[in-house]
Amino acid sequence: MPHDWEASRRRIGATIAGSRGIDRVPYFPIACEEIICRVSGKTFRELLSSPKIYGNAAIMTYEFLKADSLAIPTAYAGPAEALAFAEANNKEDIIKWSDYKVFMAKQGAICKTEEDIEKLEIPDHCKISLWDTCISAVDFIREKTRYPQSCALGIWSVVQELRGVQAYRDMRKNPDLLLQLCEKVYQSQMDLYNFYNERVGPSPTIFFTGYAFNKHMMSFEDAMKYEGQFIKRLQNETKAKIMLHNCGTSPYFDEICDNLDIFAINGSHPLDIEYWVGFKERHPGVTIVGANIDVSRELLNGTPLDVEEKVKENITHLGSGGRYAVGPICCLPWGVSLNNIMTIPKAIKKWGTYPLQTH
Amino acid sequence: MNDDDILEKLRNSIVKGNSEEALNFIYKAIDANIDPKLILNEALIRGADEVGMKYEEGEYFLGDLLLTADAMNDCMDVVKPKLIEEKHESLGKIVIGVPEGDLHDIGKSLVIALLQGQGFDVIDLGVDVPPEKFVEVAINENPDIIGISGLLTMTISKMIETVTMLKRKGIRAKIVVGGGILSEQSCKYIGADAWTKDGWKGVKLIKDLMEAN
Repeated sequence: MPHDWEASRRRIGATIAGSRGIDRVPYFPIACEEIICRVSGKTFRELLSSPKIYGNAAIMTYEFLKADSLAIPTAYAGPAEALAFAEANNKEDIIKWSDYKVFMAKQGAICKTEEDIEKLEIPDHCKISLWDTCISAVDFIREKTRYPQSCALGIWSVVQELRGVQAYRDMRKNPDLLLQLCEKVYQSQMDLYNFYNERVGPSPTIFFTGYAFNKHMMSFEDAMKYEGQFIKRLQNETKAKIMLHNCGTSPYFDEICDNLDIFAINGSHPLDIEYWVGFKERHPGVTIVGANIDVSRELLNGTPLDVEEKVKENITHLGSGGRYAVGPICCLPWGVSLNNIMTIPKAIKKWGTYPLQTH
Repeated sequence: MNDDDILEKLRNSIVKGNSEEALNFIYKAIDANIDPKLILNEALIRGADEVGMKYEEGEYFLGDLLLTADAMNDCMDVVKPKLIEEKHESLGKIVIGVPEGDLHDIGKSLVIALLQGQGFDVIDLGVDVPPEKFVEVAINENPDIIGISGLLTMTISKMIETVTMLKRKGIRAKIVVGGGILSEQSCKYIGADAWTKDGWKGVKLIKDLMEAN
């Protein structure tokens, strides 16, 4: 039976609206480049050779996973933004390409010195071939499936790529310089957002990668200074709703929702399910995508039974009343067995079909 | 200012992560002929321990750890020749790198700075290191501990490959894997001797492993 993307759209829409939804709890995985290469059998360069090839491979992968989410993974503010900055500043040699996974940038090589930051050129995304392909692939997916797409942005994820470990020293020794870099990254993100809107149409939601919001990395005050304030500006300028992704191990999810207008959070920690039960009570208007299903645990090292137990735990504790979608966080790398991966949709069907068994 | 005052002020500047101030007091300590071992243990390492506690309690963050590590490294440059003169041995030799396919170096850089500041000899292999390179350096340098640091879940498969190759080649050094992606379960899966997901705890773990050896 062909994948019904309209049903998937309605499942996600219903859970965000806080209703029971149409048939079951939705499934919202993030398929990274590695799993798209694995499922499609194409190298990453082949995927990037045309928007149609990349778009079709992404659709094939999400359909294979029996997902209710659908996106182009490269179009988020991580290595692809580093590549855009590298190209705009003639530093392409710091990018390392791989066959069956996303390329990477040598962290801190683009903004090694203060002068590098001061002279940093902001990329014009429509002239960066990779972004042109990715955003066109997003548009191709939207056209083909009618599944709504979201622009993906971030600040600290890009700052870390550009400045590396030095960013954490700057935080204490040269905060103004660091803010100057954050500002340039923000301008770049707005350029990307505008390019996305021109090519794909308005993005009513933004998938925001908020890597600054980790308790072991910086105080919440600093996270707001170097990322949160830019989220507020972004919301003022775009009026878009924000889903905040953080795949770190000690995220500030409560503080984020107390201080920022977020409609959904996407994470896998803390691992204690009781935290998430409490989170849902404390933030009843926020949709949880993920909770405590972490790819580097049950999915990587466990059995299908372990994965099923984890999905069951999440659904029975968090599924009723909507505002919950199952999601293994973060990406699904090569080493994760397909048996384990495919257990998730089976477990959702078994435990997440309405009416739910609740804990 | 007596010796205790100098050591206390040096320790405080380490806690503050103030390199300039720390250098000022370490020169004072040297001029006052304070035993370099006392400088290392009572000022530098105790200062670092205090910073570690503040980090664990959520009072300090990554930036603070790095500045403290920088201040300690600056001081070590001054005190190390004195320690060598007195035949004070290094705490141990560590080879550390990020495995092939991963270019993230923030965690590794932090751990290296902290280890060097505590008196370890560290050989930094950099990022994107193939298993063969780990083996080659392990054979040539005979380290006490090999650290493999990674950020990405996909790195785990390269960690397994690296650990397998090191063991097949008969490398006897303890292997510590580090990264937020790791757990007790994944450490066993990788075949490493110990794991940490936190730079500061990683340094404590390495010290414990050295003491147990």
